[in-house]
Amino acid sequence: MGRKIDDLFSGLGRVMNGFIICFLIIPLVVTSLMAFDARPYLGPLPPPALSTRWFSKFFSDDYFLRGLGVSLELALISVCLSVCIGVITAVALDRSNSRARELMTSLFLSPLIVPPVVTGFAILIFLSKLGVVNGFARLLCGHLIITIPYTIRATLNGVLGIDKSLTEAALTLGARERHAFWDITFPLARTGILCGGIFAFVVSLDDVAISIMLTDAKTYTLPVALVSSMRANFDLTLAAVSVLLMGLTLALIFVLEKTVGLNQIIGQGTFR
Amino acid sequence: MKRAPSIFFYLPASVVFSVFFWLPLGGLLLESFRPFTPGRIGAVSDAPLTLANYEELLTPSFLEFFMQTLRISLFASLVGLVFSFTLAYWITRRMSPRGRAIAVGFFVSLMFLSVLVRTYALELTFGAAGPFRAILLSFGVYPNSRGYIEVLVAAGLLHYIVPLATLTLLTTIQNVDPRLFDAAQTLGAPGWRAHLSVTLPLCRDGLLAAFLFSFAFSISAFVIPMILGKGRVLFVSNLIYNRFSEIADFPSGAAISAVLFAVSITIVYLTTRYVNRREAG
Amino acid sequence: MTKLTRRQALSATVAFGGVSMAGGLLGSPRPAAASTEITAVEWGGDVVDAMKQIEAKQNQVKVNWVLHQGGSGAILPKIKASWPHPEYDYVSGWEGSFNGMVKEDWLVPVTTQTVPNLADIPQKIIVKNGKGEWAAVPRAIGGIYCAYRKDTSPIEIKSIDDLFDTRLKGKICWPGPTQAMMLPLVALALHGGGNENNMEPGWALMKKLAQSGNIGRVGVTDTDFSTSLTSGETSVGYYSEPQLTAVAKSFPVVRLTKQEGVPTFLYQSGFAILKNRPNLEATLAFVNFCISPEMSTLYAEVAGEAPLNVKAKTPDALKHLAFTPQEFDKYVYVPDFNVVLSQQDAWSKRWESEIAPLL
Repeated sequence: MGRKIDDLFSGLGRVMNGFIICFLIIPLVVTSLMAFDARPYLGPLPPPALSTRWFSKFFSDDYFLRGLGVSLELALISVCLSVCIGVITAVALDRSNSRARELMTSLFLSPLIVPPVVTGFAILIFLSKLGVVNGFARLLCGHLIITIPYTIRATLNGVLGIDKSLTEAALTLGARERHAFWDITFPLARTGILCGGIFAFVVSLDDVAISIMLTDAKTYTLPVALVSSMRANFDLTLAAVSVLLMGLTLALIFVLEKTVGLNQIIGQGTFR
Repeated sequence: MKRAPSIFFYLPASVVFSVFFWLPLGGLLLESFRPFTPGRIGAVSDAPLTLANYEELLTPSFLEFFMQTLRISLFASLVGLVFSFTLAYWITRRMSPRGRAIAVGFFVSLMFLSVLVRTYALELTFGAAGPFRAILLSFGVYPNSRGYIEVLVAAGLLHYIVPLATLTLLTTIQNVDPRLFDAAQTLGAPGWRAHLSVTLPLCRDGLLAAFLFSFAFSISAFVIPMILGKGRVLFVSNLIYNRFSEIADFPSGAAISAVLFAVSITIVYLTTRYVNRREAG
Repeated sequence: MTKLTRRQALSATVAFGGVSMAGGLLGSPRPAAASTEITAVEWGGDVVDAMKQIEAKQNQVKVNWVLHQGGSGAILPKIKASWPHPEYDYVSGWEGSFNGMVKEDWLVPVTTQTVPNLADIPQKIIVKNGKGEWAAVPRAIGGIYCAYRKDTSPIEIKSIDDLFDTRLKGKICWPGPTQAMMLPLVALALHGGGNENNMEPGWALMKKLAQSGNIGRVGVTDTDFSTSLTSGETSVGYYSEPQLTAVAKSFPVVRLTKQEGVPTFLYQSGFAILKNRPNLEATLAFVNFCISPEMSTLYAEVAGEAPLNVKAKTPDALKHLAFTPQEFDKYVYVPDFNVVLSQQDAWSKRWESEIAPLL
């Protein structure tokens, strides 16, 4: 009897997984179609003709390319800073008693529950009062506040999963605390840290609502450039950029898999 | 055991949060107590304080917007959690190392799909003019009905939540000792019960993190309900956005934000507490 | 300003706008120093393309173009945050965004001395500040009116009553509470016997329309409407010119600008010149150059908004926005913008509580 239920559940799980993967893939396919759509507007599917006009439009426009430069720089700096802060904070949270941890994790997650337009507006007004009018500095502040919650929580998730007896064993065997962290905690928490870093990078690269409030006359990010270049007609360059970004990500992952092996980088948990 | 003082470790995050988040938000809270004169841009800085912006929120329709936002967000987060856990478990336990690498690569690339483009792609596919229209109609589902639009908004949220939560749960599941599950089965528990009583409790932290990411993303989502909700299914963030437009009624927008923040942070804190207490108990 | 004078102003504009009197003098009588750099905020797409072409036709001013990010409202908190030290020399806008800037006292008053070409702009259309001074420089007009896609609309629309036809189920895209100054709601009020001062008939009809299920989408951004129509989701709308132009580029669009009983509204687009900027002279000279007859014609052709300069030529594609004085009186309704603008906040809140739950 139990076996039959198990088989049923496992079958159901498989069907559900197949269904979700389809649901996830369909918009990917549609985005690719949009990116190669020859029509100058967002029309019904499928497109009657294909072209690469949106890609050439992207590469021939200085406005977009400058935005891309700012976006990449901003994303890289935000990720580095927020991963560092995330790891330090996660270690602190791991060591705190559970009451403090409950409160602090909730507080550190709070920027994610505020609609970004509100966060952007609040930061804009506050920094202006402080006299900070530099666009890049403002953008960095805004991006840090929406990326750190991800790095803290994802790292904490990796750290909490580690069997405490491993670290304690190392300490009992005479290892210094710092070594115990680098030799045991860090490698095992690596998947979590990496996840946090990826989330941070993506969130920074894709943000429109906070950035719109914080750009200045000369510093703007790519998504802001893309959104503001359209007045009435939806500009499919946006789809082309998404396809480019995903293509680059896939290529990078492929190279990493061929050179060092992806499983090596994402890390193995204790049991996998 | 000797431990480094954790206050020191809290310092960097606390400084960043205070300066770039709590203080700005405090300024906004103050704005929410100022009166708004139509035509002005925001409140006049030295206007007297008032509760008017909160009082005008005490209407049944505003409560309905709130409940709608919470309902769709919770629904999407919980469904997303079930989907992601199944996927993540399958990837860690059932796949070859190569398959796992491909799956992780797929989910990471999916995160790079811009939310705006993703939403329009969903609208073109499943919307009122999409290729699924005929199929939906044959099932008696009218693609312009309010119920369908709510499902569509939830689907839009899910499309972002599932990759996010799956990657989060991978971290957790790979740290769970599969021998515990085997032991439970050896002791005669059927697989589903072994999962329920062994695997799931051990993944508690990961499930909590994945749920909180999903919930926080949904409750503050703005583009997804804006496009897929067709201006008919409105999230609280869409009401806030209206006030930050040409109308420039910042005090009212700030008041709604304050209410949304208070409710959401309470839910986040209580969920965290509840899950942790179950562990202790 | 009274309703009557504004109506006369607009009617004079469009009546003369159709006549070609291009060929006036170019340039400013007060040239600025060679290549002064100014920072200007413009809309993306066709508008900034037009402005870049105008910039290329002179060499006294170099413009650093900044684009409006999602409607002309997003720039307001930024200016407010940096006030009294704005980053921009001029901000393009319309009645809806000028109103707030005037009330905040951010704008440099203009006269025919500082911007001589204003002499060729119908004076009554110019937005005034509290002291009665001219506060912004208009450059073109656009319309807000009913239109539909001929190839996909199930019926031909001839009156407001047709919007309630059951065959239009889910086929209407209606502007939301931040779009088009909510003037389509005023159109419903007029149809029901009211006006901007007596909106109850409008709200009653709006409720009826919401309950009919004919509204498939409520547009909340500038791209919402055009995307909804081009993707085939909806076919009918009461919307503003740039969005309709975007659809009309690729599809047959019937614009009901001259249909009795379906009111057309006009709005201006123009320049708001900010105070406390170092290059005021150069900015004024550039703005003056932009509204010269030839540049107005160029702007109209590229940006798709009808020129306001009486000596400029209205392109054929904008014929639907050229009215004879008789046509103007018959089809165009000029509301009291002071009332409309001061009611935006209240109307949008009422929309949220009374209309949105019915959709």
